[in-house]
Order: sequence, then structure tokens, then C-alpha cells
Amino acid sequence: MDDDGPVIPDFGEGSSCVTDNRTFCWDWAREHWGDTLQPAVLQHLWLTAIAIAIGFVLAFGLALLAHRVRRVEHPIGVGAALLYTIPSLALFQLLVPLTGITTTTVEIALVAYTLVILYPNIVAGLDGAPPEVVEAARGMWLTRRQVLTRVELPLAVPAIVGGLRIAVVSTIAIATIAAFLLPKGLGYPIFYAIKLPEPFKTEIYAAGALAIGLALLCDGGLVLLRRALVPWARKGGA
Amino acid sequence: MIRKHTRRAAKAAFAISLAVAIVLGGTARPAESKSSASPTITLGTKNFAEEYILGQLYKQALEAKGFDVVYKENIGSTELIDKALTSHKIDMYPEYTGVIVQVVFGRALSAKTAAATYALAKQLQEKRGFTLFRPTPFADTDAVAVLKSTATKYSLKTLGNLKKVPGLKLAALPEFRTRNTGLVGLRRNYGLTNVKFVPLAGLSPYQALDSNKVQAAAVFSTDPVLGPTSKYKLLADPVHQFGFQNVAPVVSKQLVASLPPLFRRTVDAVSAKLTQNAIIAMNKAVIIDKKTPKSVARTFLKANGLL
Amino acid sequence: MIVGDTFRPGIFVDALAFIADNPAFLAGKALEQLVLAGAALGLALLVALPFGIVLGHLHRGSGIAIGASIFARALPSLAAIAFLLPVLGIGFLNNAIALAILAAGPLLTNAFEGVEGVDRDAVDAARGMGMSAGQILRRVELPLAVPLLMTGIRVAAVTVVATAPIAAIAGGGGLGDVIVNQASYRLKGVLGASLCVMALSAAVFLCLVALQNALTPKGLVRTRVVGDLPPGKELQ
Repeated sequence: MDDDGPVIPDFGEGSSCVTDNRTFCWDWAREHWGDTLQPAVLQHLWLTAIAIAIGFVLAFGLALLAHRVRRVEHPIGVGAALLYTIPSLALFQLLVPLTGITTTTVEIALVAYTLVILYPNIVAGLDGAPPEVVEAARGMWLTRRQVLTRVELPLAVPAIVGGLRIAVVSTIAIATIAAFLLPKGLGYPIFYAIKLPEPFKTEIYAAGALAIGLALLCDGGLVLLRRALVPWARKGGA
Repeated sequence: MIRKHTRRAAKAAFAISLAVAIVLGGTARPAESKSSASPTITLGTKNFAEEYILGQLYKQALEAKGFDVVYKENIGSTELIDKALTSHKIDMYPEYTGVIVQVVFGRALSAKTAAATYALAKQLQEKRGFTLFRPTPFADTDAVAVLKSTATKYSLKTLGNLKKVPGLKLAALPEFRTRNTGLVGLRRNYGLTNVKFVPLAGLSPYQALDSNKVQAAAVFSTDPVLGPTSKYKLLADPVHQFGFQNVAPVVSKQLVASLPPLFRRTVDAVSAKLTQNAIIAMNKAVIIDKKTPKSVARTFLKANGLL
Repeated sequence: MIVGDTFRPGIFVDALAFIADNPAFLAGKALEQLVLAGAALGLALLVALPFGIVLGHLHRGSGIAIGASIFARALPSLAAIAFLLPVLGIGFLNNAIALAILAAGPLLTNAFEGVEGVDRDAVDAARGMGMSAGQILRRVELPLAVPLLMTGIRVAAVTVVATAPIAAIAGGGGLGDVIVNQASYRLKGVLGASLCVMALSAAVFLCLVALQNALTPKGLVRTRVVGDLPPGKELQ
């Protein structure tokens, strides 16, 4: 025995549930909440929040533009649909030479997809004000801007929130793919667990369930938001 | 005709987007942001557990000594990570000496000792601007495993002894069959002409051994189920068909020149502690007990006074 | 993972050259992808469509229909594939089922809304004429539900075709094999394969639009449905 050899410490045994790779090991989830699952959730929320914030601003701006300049509505719509069919894996790889393997690359892709979902919904919302109401408002000598802010926008809220619901849920789902590029978000534990010589079930199910749960939670939150903003709107839409 | 309000709305949207883009661009970290004070070490790893462990070991040890490490885990296979190295996306990564010779430079694995393999790998890398730090004691090579009970029964010590096993069946991944370092080599180097090849599909080699489907199976010498208390035994390879695969960090010469000798010393100190049993224990912790590579590396470094 | 070839505007030309140089290979991969997508869609049609139609006919379970669509959108396809991996292993079945779950959402919802939303007067009139429930379903509700039904099928089909590349991480084959393998095919290959995926999605979209026009009963004006544009982008 050489005493130049290393000390091999006890790393701690995994429970038999973990070593046998049984369907779900609560002890593992509890033990690794702090070092694996929670950071992933927070990173995931962060990625999503940035994408939604920027995507919303851009979509809103574009929708306002399209609302006024009808001619651009169709081209923007077609562009959006095209963006839709680009596989996200490919979009990432395309952006990497430009923006590197960074959060920016991921965010550009996520914002693009958010835009694609929000833009048609906001446009539809703005266009959805009944013409008689708009006419009536105009007839009351409201300026174009006032018609927008006092009539069209409030009437558009259900459609906009509906679009936000879809966008948020979808973005949370797509953000899992970001782990292909960066070790961040709930996709990372999933990719890691798949890569192990024997795919580690608990980690896969835990991260997947968290992603789904997160999405459903946000969806529910937005429904509440809509009710708060427009209590008179009927259920339906989205 | 775009009217005043529309222009304003469009301008506002554009301005906001521009502002956001600037903010986002500002927070992005470009790939080569080296502060003039001390160069950052961009450390990459390949895409499997043992490499994650190695990466974390080197990363944490270096950071403890005050170095600035940018960590790019899970870059990919040998081809991908070598490309990342030569295109300067990373400065350093842990590689296996035999893989350098055979996969990166396309030579045959003919060296007869670990030292010779390492020397050749180093020589080849140095021609293109990289160097190798000291190799680890452990080597992760292909190997053939049998149950200890089987080894006792037929007194198996080396691969040649497998001739004594009647009706020998060997399990391995499909590509093992045609490799010179695989079945072809076993036939030629050890005269195992009567071995029946059983391709592994979905079953691990150890499961195949446990269920007595086969008497021997192709594995890796640092698999987590191996080690001093394992119920499996690896057969010796006196002809060195499987070559030598010690790990040596490949580092850009430029980086070495721009950092104090503490850099090399720190990395070498870590490598020196990585014996076969140590890496097997760490593999076990990560792959079987499902600990994170980060925590396993930390525990090991602490226990050995390297953190 | 990705290393990143250098980006030049010429990369798009290279991508087109890649397509031109490898027609048989890419066609084979595209076919693989279509087969996978077709299987997934078929599976989803078999299960989700009748379920949604029946629920809509009975005017029950709107919660289920809407919940299904939300859930299908919330389920990341990566997670769906990963969940089934330990159970079904790598390969065709795993991916087909995961993608089928993805497709089921819009199918169920649109089938439900399509049948449920049929003009009550038409249904009442039919009942008044003595039609049985089955006849009402077949002769009145289904034909009138065609626009929404077809929209649902179209959205599901395009979603599945465009999402299929991710199946490559679990042995699903198709153009995804190229897209996740920049090492072998270089960025121009990745780009070329992606263009193929986009073309494939567009082709599927157009075919189904044509089919919808053929199936829509004359006299039913096809309104521009906003839900037409991709409602959910759980694509990969």
C-alpha cells in the first residue's frame, strides 16, 4: 500500500431505489433538490421570462404597426409562419457562429418563437373590436390614439392574454431544448440522465414533471390575470 | 400614407426593441473575453460521466488556486472536441493518450508501454501547438471481464487463458466484432478462434455475465461496478491489444506560457491522485449512486487536500 | 453539442449545394421522418379524433378537451421522449408515441370544438326530421365540423413533422440525424437538412389545405381562423 496514493472518501451510497433505478425515488429528489432541480427550475423561469418579455414587446410593436398599416400584416404573418417551421435545434446551431454558445443565442431563438405565437393573437385581438363600437367611439370625437387605448386595447385583452397563455406554455416547453446548447434549464437534467449508461428514471421524471407543472401553473396564473383585467369577458379563447 | 400616430407607434416599438437588444447584447458574454489581468482557462469536456468528473476535478482545483476557469462541459465526441480545441473555442480538455494517437492522429496503437503511448501523443500534439500535462495513473481501456467465480473455476488470469473455457461465448457491442482492438485482435493475438460472439442489444455486459448468457464480456476498465470489492475480474492483456489510455490534459501552449507554473502544478497534482480505484469509486458515485459530478469532485479534492 | 462552424452568408449557398449533392440520402431521411410523423399522426387520429368527436356530440367534457390541448402544449417533446425511453428504449415506437401525444392535443380540442360548435339550429332541424343520433353525427355535425377538424389535423400534422427532428436523440431517425450531427455533416449539412424539414412542413401544410378545400361542403364559407397559425410551438 503506497501512502502516496489518494484518499478515497466515502461519497455516500445511493439508496437501493436509486441504485436499482426504480421508477421514482423521492429520496433522490429531496436530496438533490438544492443542487440539481431547484437551480434548473430557476434557470428555466429566467430563460422563459426574458423570452416572453422581449417577445411580447416586439410582437406588440409589430401588431400595432400591422394594425395601422394593413399592407404589412400579411407579410409579417407569413414571415412568422416560416420562422415557425425552423427546427429549434437548427436555429440554435445557425446562431452559434454569430452569438456563440451563450444565453443570447438561446434567447434569440426563444424570442423568435414567442413572437410567432403572440403576433397573430395580438393582431386578431386588435382587429376584433366590433366595427360599430369603433365607429361609435370615433363618432364621439375620440382621437385615433384614444380609440386605440380606450376601446380597441381593452377589447383585445382576452385575445392578448390568450396568446400569452399559449406563448408562455410553449416557451416553457421549448426552453427544455436549450440544454442541447447550454447546461441550463430543466432540459439539462433530462439530457444528463438520458446520457448515463442506464437512463436515470427519477431525474427524467422529476425534471419533466417540473416543466409540465411550471407550464400549467403559469397558465393558471394567466387565467386569473385575465379575470382580474376583464371580469366581463366570457370564458373561452386560447 | 403612414400617419403621425402610426409613425410614433412604430418608432416607439422600434426604440424599445433596440433598447432591449442593446441590454441583452451587453449582458451576453462573448466567447473570448479575456481580462488582461489573468487569462481565463477555457476548459472543455467530452460527453460522458467520467469526463464530467475529470472536468470538475480540474476546474475546482484550479479555481481554488485563484485561476479563472470558463467551463464548457459536454462538448461532444473526440472529433468535435478536438475541433473546438484547434479552433480555439477551448484551451484545454482531458483526453486519453491512446485516443489521441489513434483517433485524433489516425495512427495505429502499437506502442508497448503507457509511457511510450504518452510520449507519442505528446509529440504529435506539440507539433500543432498543444502540449500534454502529466498523465493519470489510471487508464480507461477496453477490457474483458469475467465473473470471479468463472475465473476461479478455470483459473483465468490472462485473455489467453480463455482458451480453457469450453463453448466460450463473449458479449460485446456490435462494433467490437470487427475491430482490431476487438474480436479480430482477440483471435489473432490470443488464438481465441472458437469464441462465439453475442452482440449486446439493450443488455449491459454485466447483466449478460450475471445471467450466465456468456462467460466473458467486453467492458471498460473503469466501469463503476469494478474495483477491489467487485464480483467481476478483468483479464490481463499482456500483448497490449487494448492499448494504453491514461488521461492527460491537452493544453494550448499559448495558455501555458501566459500563466504561472502554478497552473501546471495544480493540474498535475490532481492527476497524480487519480488511481484506478479512485476513478472507479467516483464513477460509481456518479453513475450508480447518482451524485452530481460537481459534488463528487469536491468531496474527493477536499479529502486529498487539493481544495 | 455544438462547436459552430464559422458563419458566412455563403453558408446558405453551401446548404443548397449540400442538398443538391445528397438527394438520395436526404430523400431517404425525409421519408423516414414522414413515416415516423405519419405513424404518430395515425395513432393520434385513432385515439384523439373519435374521443373529441363523441365528446363534442354529447356536449360534455369541454374541460377535458381544453385541458388536453393545454397539457399537450405544456408537455415538452423532449420530456415525452425521455419519459418513454426507460420503458420502450431507443427506436421507432418510443418516438412515435411521444409525437402522437403531441399531436393528440390539437386534434382532440379541434374535434371537440368543431362538433360541439355546430349550429344548434341545424342539429335541431335534423332531429326534427327524425334523424337518429348517429345520422345527425354523420350527416350534419361532421360535415359542418370539417373546417375546424381539418385545421386541427393540419396543425397536428405540421407540428409532428416539424418536431420529428428531435427524435434523433433517441434513435428516431429522419432528418434530425443530420441536424444533431454537426460533427459529421458540418453546418451546411445542418442547414440543408433544416431547409428540407421546412420544405416538408410546408408541403404537408399545403397538401392538407388542398384536402380541406376538397372536403369542405360547398356552401360552407371557409373563414380565416386565427387558430390556423401555429397556436403552440412545442416544436422540439
